[in-house]
Amino acid sequence: MQWGRFDMPTEPTSGGTSNERRELLNVTVPATASAIAGVSDTVAGIMLDLGIPEEKRLEIGLALQEALANAVVHGCGNDPSKNVHCRLNCDGEDRILIIVSDPGPGLDMSSLASPMVGENLYQDHGRGIYLIRQLMDDVRFERGGSEIQMWKY
Amino acid sequence: MDINVRKRSEVHVVQLRGPLRMGEAVDGLRRTMEDMLGSGGHCVLINLAEVPMIDSSGIGLLVRFLASTKERGGSIKLLNPSQFAVRTLKLVGVLNLFEVFDDEEKAVGSFA
Repeated sequence: MQWGRFDMPTEPTSGGTSNERRELLNVTVPATASAIAGVSDTVAGIMLDLGIPEEKRLEIGLALQEALANAVVHGCGNDPSKNVHCRLNCDGEDRILIIVSDPGPGLDMSSLASPMVGENLYQDHGRGIYLIRQLMDDVRFERGGSEIQMWKY
Repeated sequence: MDINVRKRSEVHVVQLRGPLRMGEAVDGLRRTMEDMLGSGGHCVLINLAEVPMIDSSGIGLLVRFLASTKERGGSIKLLNPSQFAVRTLKLVGVLNLFEVFDDEEKAVGSFA
C-alpha cells in the first residue's frame, strides 16, 4: 500500500459546518480482490475505533466494498498491475466521506439499468451502484465516472 | 471465508462464516456450488448466521445458483440470515426469491 496526504475535495449537500477535517486513510492498492478486502477490513477497524454504530458501519462497509469492486472490475479490468485509490475522511460533525478512484475511462451512469426491473432481478451482476445509492446519503461521480465520492452523515 | 458442507438426507447444508464478498469468499462458494450441482446436489440450505455482509457479487452468485437448482427441481434456501443481510437482499429486490428459515429442522424438512 502507498500512503500519502489527502485534501478534502467536496462538501456534503446537507447543511452544517465541516471545519475540522480528519484524514483517516489514503491508500493505493493493486486492483485485486484480496487487496480491496484488506482496504475494507482496515476501514471497518477505523470505523469501529471511531465508535460508529454497527448498522452505520455495515452500510458504509458494503458501499465501500461495492465501490472498490467496481474500480477493480470496471475501472481496472481486473488487471493487477493497475491501482485503485481509496481515501477516507471524517468532518467535524462525524460525517464520513469515502472517495474511490481508478485509472479507467469511467462509467456512464445514465446507461445503468435498474436491477429491480424484470429479468434484471435474476442477473448475477449490475447491483453495485444501485446498492451504493441506497446505502449512502450523498453519492457523486467525478472524472467521467472513474471516481466516486460517497458521504454518510 | 470458512465454508463447511454436510449432507442431511438429500439436502446439502452449507455453513458459511465471514463476509460473502468478491474474491476468495465468492470464488470458494462458487466452486462449492458447482461441485454440488455436478454431483447431483440441487437441494441446498445455506446457513448465513455468521455472514455479516453479502455484497453484490455474493447476491449475484446466490441468484444464479438459485436458478440452476430450480431448473433441476431443487432450490437454494436461506437459514438465519443476519438483519443486515436480509435488508441488503430486500434492497435489491431478491429477498422474495428465496425461502428463509430460522430453524434448520424445518428448513431441511421443507425440501421433502
